[in-house]
Amino acid sequence: MALINKVLPGYTATLWMQDDVTPVALTDTQLGTWTAQVATIVGTEAGGSGTAGYVVPVESIPAFGADDASAAYSVAGARTGAKITTQNQVTSMTITAAWNSADAALLQIRADGYSGSTIRTYVVAVYDGEDTVAYAFNARVGGLQWDMSPSAEGKFIFTIHPVGGNSYGWSTNT
Amino acid sequence: MTTQNNPYDYAEAIQYQLADIVTPVPVYSNFNRNYAKQPKFLTWQLRNIHQDVYTGGIQSNKGIDTPIFQISIFAQNKADAFNLSNDILQSLHGYSGQFGGPGGFFIAKADVHWLYNSYDNELGLNQIFLDCMIYVPA
Repeated sequence: MALINKVLPGYTATLWMQDDVTPVALTDTQLGTWTAQVATIVGTEAGGSGTAGYVVPVESIPAFGADDASAAYSVAGARTGAKITTQNQVTSMTITAAWNSADAALLQIRADGYSGSTIRTYVVAVYDGEDTVAYAFNARVGGLQWDMSPSAEGKFIFTIHPVGGNSYGWSTNT
Repeated sequence: MTTQNNPYDYAEAIQYQLADIVTPVPVYSNFNRNYAKQPKFLTWQLRNIHQDVYTGGIQSNKGIDTPIFQISIFAQNKADAFNLSNDILQSLHGYSGQFGGPGGFFIAKADVHWLYNSYDNELGLNQIFLDCMIYVPA
């Protein structure tokens, strides 16, 4: 099998999380390892094995990756100033989910946010029907909010804050 | 870089998928007055095939395709018409996966709008119209 070689709709992305109440987050190496590591968190609907993960029923996957940051300084006598790219933080993901008070994943995220200290592995999986590309990272949950505006269904809004360091990785099933 | 999807592939897949959902009710592309003697049947029409095009002189610099097909349900019995529309909603709305059987293709999402129902007094047929947009990698 080859890597996904297509332009994909955003709908191909899903968010997964470890399903243990007290999870053991993947190591830095494991975050970039598909077989027996990331694949166990990703469900079969996205090409994984789905033995140790919940799907998080989010409305859409927000942008993920790294924050933009640079050191900028002026250079006397030069035509322009200068910028040096710095080691940026992994981007926090603010998630909106339709609130279902009996959804196991949402209840676990609520519990993690209440705990404040649980570090859990999350995976964004992109699946084209055959192959998967996964972005896995370790994070805590913060900023729990419920929005019960009558103009739409009740929303559960929370932010996943990556723990930083090297705790993210890319992997693929191929 | 992407490829241009073939509209004929869409047509084949829509015919297969709808027939699979409502079998044994017949499914046709476009309406033919001869069908009107049948107690219930479906027709479909494909429209709005368009992949966004992006800058530059490279033809393959394009986005995904989001074609829409209209599904028209005709039935002499009102309950048949509504239940057929429910079969389509239950099967297709939010669906992600293989579309059009083994010879079809993967779709990231199917999004169905149940538009309205009506009645044609001349033909004696209840009618229900739905729009379905599919998100197709390219």
